[in-house]
Formats: sequence, C-alpha cells, structure tokens
Amino acid sequence: MEGKINKQLKKVLKKIVKEAHEPLAVADAKLGGVIKEKLNLSCIHSPVVNELMRGIRSQMDGLIPGVEPREMSAMCLGLAHSLSRYRLKFSADKVDTMIVQAISLLDDLDKELNNYIMRCREWYGWHFPELGKIISDNLTYCKCLQKVGDRKNYASATLSELLPEEVEAEVKAAAEISMGTEVSEEDICNILHLCTQVIEISEYRTQLYEYLQNRMMAIAPNVTVMVGELVGARLIAHAGSLLNLAKHAASTVQILGAEKALFRALKSRRDTPKYGLIYHASLVGQTSPKHKGKISRMLAAKTVLAIRYDAFGEDSSSAMGVENRAKLEARLRTLEDRGIRKISGTGKALAKTEKYEHKSEVKTYDPSGDSTLPTYSKKRKIEQVDKEEEVTEKKAKKAKIKVKVEEEEEEEEVLVEEETSTKKKKKKDKKKHIKEEPLSEEEPCTSTAIPSPEKKKKKKKKKDSED
Amino acid sequence: MVPGLSVYGERRVTVTENGVKQEYRTWNPFRSKLAAAILGGVDQIHIKPKSKVLYLGAASGTTVSHVSDIIGPDGLVYAVEFSHRAGRDLVNVAKKRTNIIPVLEDARHPLKYRMLIGMVDVIFADVAQPDQSRIVALNAHTFLRNGGHFLISIKANCIDSTASAEAVFASEVRKLQQENLKPQEQLTLEPYERDHAVVVGVYRPLPKSSSK
Repeated sequence: MEGKINKQLKKVLKKIVKEAHEPLAVADAKLGGVIKEKLNLSCIHSPVVNELMRGIRSQMDGLIPGVEPREMSAMCLGLAHSLSRYRLKFSADKVDTMIVQAISLLDDLDKELNNYIMRCREWYGWHFPELGKIISDNLTYCKCLQKVGDRKNYASATLSELLPEEVEAEVKAAAEISMGTEVSEEDICNILHLCTQVIEISEYRTQLYEYLQNRMMAIAPNVTVMVGELVGARLIAHAGSLLNLAKHAASTVQILGAEKALFRALKSRRDTPKYGLIYHASLVGQTSPKHKGKISRMLAAKTVLAIRYDAFGEDSSSAMGVENRAKLEARLRTLEDRGIRKISGTGKALAKTEKYEHKSEVKTYDPSGDSTLPTYSKKRKIEQVDKEEEVTEKKAKKAKIKVKVEEEEEEEEVLVEEETSTKKKKKKDKKKHIKEEPLSEEEPCTSTAIPSPEKKKKKKKKKDSED
Repeated sequence: MVPGLSVYGERRVTVTENGVKQEYRTWNPFRSKLAAAILGGVDQIHIKPKSKVLYLGAASGTTVSHVSDIIGPDGLVYAVEFSHRAGRDLVNVAKKRTNIIPVLEDARHPLKYRMLIGMVDVIFADVAQPDQSRIVALNAHTFLRNGGHFLISIKANCIDSTASAEAVFASEVRKLQQENLKPQEQLTLEPYERDHAVVVGVYRPLPKSSSK
C-alpha cells in the first residue's frame, strides 16, 4: 500500500509475470521502482498506464469473471472499514468507558461487601459472639466461619492456615465457654451461604482492581504514573470521559471533587478549597500539611499535561509522565527541606533573609491598673460631683475598698496632686481624723462652690459622730 | 435511508404518502454546501439514485449522509476524509449506512486508496485546500469515468485571501479547464456562505451523437 511489496504480491509477480517476459504496467511510480529493484522486472509508468487503468477499472466487473457485483461491493466495504479502523488505530483498549464503569462498580462492591460482612457478623454473633471480638479481619472471619460452622466443631477443626497459633487456641477456648445460643442445621446453612457470597465478592473485588489497573495503564499511562490508578480513574469518572477531562483547566482539575465546598466558599466570599480528588494522590499524601496546597497545585498543573497527552497523543508511552513526576518529586524535596533557593522566579537568586535586629522592648510599670476606682484629674468639673455622691453611697457596702483607700491615702499623701475628696469622705477611721483637717483645708481651694457646703456638712457630721 | 436516527442532530419529519410512512430529514444549507447550491438554484447536481459518487472532504459525514439518502441502497458514495477525529464520526455514520464507504486517506494521493474505489459517476469536492484544483484533477483522472460530472465548492479565502473572490473563481476555473474538466455552471452561495462558489462541470464529455 505504501510503496512496499507484499509477500503475496511478490509471489504473484514471480509466478505470472516472469513467465510472460513483458513489462509490467504500474500505477504507482514508487511501487514500480521497488519492484524493479527487487525482482528485476521492467516497469512502465506513464500516462498511457493511467488510461489503461481507467479502462480496466471501468470494466472491472466484466474482466473478473465469477465475482458478482454484490460481492465486490461487500468486499470493498469490508476492506474500506478495516483500513479505516487501522488508520484510526481503533483498538478496544482505548475505550475509557470501561474505566468509568469499573470504578463505579468498585465503589458499589465496597459498600455491598461492608453491608454483607456486618450482617454476617451480627448473625453469627448470636451463636458465637466471642469470635467477632477475637478475629477483627473480615475475610478471615468469613473463611473461619465457612470452615467450621457450628460451635461444636471448633475443637476438632484445624484453623492453622487461616490463623496464627495463639489466636487459634484462643478461638478454641472461647468456643468451649461461649455464651451464644444454639442454632439448627438450617440456620448454619444459611449463614454459610452468606459467607460464601462474601468471600466470592471479595475475590472479585481484587480481580476488578487488577483489571482497573491494567485498563488505566493501557488507556492513560501518563496519568497513572503521575497520580496513581485509583485517583486517575476517579478523575476520569468524575469528568465523564478522558476527552472531557482533557478539556478542563488545571485549576479545575485541582479542585475536582470538592464542588460543594468550592461553591459554598465562593458564595460566602471565603477561602476556596485547595484540593479535591487530587488530595488522595500519593505525592500530596506524603507532604506535610503546610505544603499540601502548593503540591496539589503543582501536581494538578503537570497532571493536566499528562491527561492531554494521553487523550490526544498518538503514542501511548509513559515517558512524559515519568519525567514530570521526577520533576515534581525534586521540587517536593526542595520544599520539604525549606530550601534557600526560590522555586519560582530566577532559580539562581537566593531567598532573602531578614537581618537580625535585636528589638529591645522595655516595659515600664503602668500604675493605672492598680485601682478599680475611677481616677480624676486635678481640675475637677461639675460632672464629677455626681460621681462623688455615688461613691459615697457605695462606701458602706465595700469594707475592703475602705482598707485599700486608707492604704492609698497613705501613699497619696506623698503624691498630693491626685487627692480626691471622695476618698476623704470614705474615711471613717478616727485615726485619719487628724489628716482630714489639713486636707479639708485644701478642699475649699480645689472644690467648686456647690459641692463645698455639702462636704462641709458631712464633715460636720463626722466630727459630730467622732465627738 | 435509516429511519429513526438523526445523524447530526437534524430534525426529522415523518410524512404518510399513499399509506406508506416516509421519514424525511431536514437538510441545513448553512452547514452543507450542497444544500446551499441546490437552494441557490443550480441546474443539475448529477447525483441521482443508483449513482456512484466520490466525495472528497467528507468531514463528519453530515452532507455525506444526505447524499447517501439520495442515491439510495443501489448507489455508492466513497467518502474521503483525512482528519482522524472527523473520520471517527464518519466511520460511525458508515456503519449504519451500507452505501457509504469510508476512506481515511489524503485526497492528494488517490493512488493510496486506488484499491478501494471503482469508477465513479460524480465527484463532489469540498476540501478547502489551496491546491484544490490539482486534487480534483488527480482524482478525476484516476476514478472519474468519461462523461462524468464534478461539483467543486471553492472558498475564495482559502485559495488566495488577498485577491478578490471573482478573480479567485476565475483562476480556479481556468486551472480546471487545463485539466480537461469542462465547467458548465458556476454560482455563488449567497446568502448562506460568503465568498463561496460552486462550479459544476463535465469531464471528458462524450462526443455528441448526431442522431436525436
């Protein structure tokens, strides 16, 4: 077809034409040349040949006897289809529907298997509850059950292939002193049926997983290398087909699978999720939580390239995937080591480290937090009068404050500026009496006209009480 | 020809004629150059039932399916398309219709698919390539019978985007004449396409017999 001589053609040529000793008319110049080389037959290629060909073609039906037109057309059709298929390299291997179906089936199987196992445990637990606690692995449990069945048979049965010796001994001991009920033959029969089903399904599940791995390697080898079979298969299944997946942007692939969180965050103007299905890829799994976001983004970018290569590329080698994965792993190592070299930008520039400056912070003691009483400035205002009255009302209830006040007053005598009349009013102690008098002299200076008569009155009262 | 199936999402109409239910598919002139030509008023498309058609530039098989409907089960249309993506769709269409033979080869090298095609009555070319005329000529020399016809859809932009459309059409017609492809009609595809023309002609016309 493409200028090469087929074996059959060679045979025919050798047989027939060599005997005829006549030049061979060839339509394809290249083919003619090749025939001449290999078989030493003289070939003619000229417009005359073309005319001859036309004539032959027109009369083809008549020239070849014994071939019905229908057969001819059928042959043509079949030949055309097979050639087209060959052209398209149409192989059943490349169909990605298999992947989508397989992964869905895998998930379904897991769910069903879990249900069945739970049911099995519960059901058999009526008869022999201790076994459930001793054997935690589901498959071993079922196999054990299948072998033995009724509790009485445990003593005689050998479970050495399934269980290690101590566990086996434990099981046998527990069988003797079990507190489960007795069950009839029929019941055990049914439980055994369920067990066989469970075992079959688990075996099928492992088979299916292998099948999925094979398909993934055949259909999308680069994706498999980058993110692994399961994650790759889930991505394809999520998008619907490999071609659909290839149309997505890298950022979409990054959060594929986290749509609910994405749109919720977008609506409420919060941070969007950093990873979707890609989170389960091994590269993302092995990084520390700090760098998972970064790695997820980088992985998504390279994975998208791998996806497109697999979807649209002609050859199906995984060289590109391997290369990219190596790149990513190198970057990951740099990230993990907190490398001093920047990843983006010019790789040669060293990351800037800030100069260490000793910032000395000297804190001084702030006395404003000492007193719970409100402090007043030297210059008193009219509004402060009300406050003073309120304070005097409270004085009776709070004895501790009085004590404090006394202490403060002792201090404040040194700091004369901050004296307030309210504190003076609270004084009931006779000891302070003497102090009052010199302080009271200060009062008329500091106090306003209105409150002064009140204070004087109170003072008089005190003086009266003291007297 | 295959009732109940829509090839490219076109609408289908079922009509009862003389007690027999016939399904018709709507043919979109905006998508199909052949339909545009027919609606534009071309005299003869030469595609009749039982004719053999060589269709160059079949793409996804949308117009090819209509041609297949016209020629019926006794005719044959050889659909040549080089692109793999479109070729896949073409093969799918060909699966359903047995009078379509898909050929996924470059139309520039008719020798590559010479074993698949017998002599044809009509060549329809919609390839949109600058060397269109040469392609058609090569295929005509190899496959088109004497007195056979050809329909070529010329896109002026494709041949030469700087020259005016009329000039491009004229030059193409001249090239065809040199190859013994005698043009008989030419019409533009307004209002369906811009700067497009369809040239209908005959190849190696049979000598006219004196009688009749």
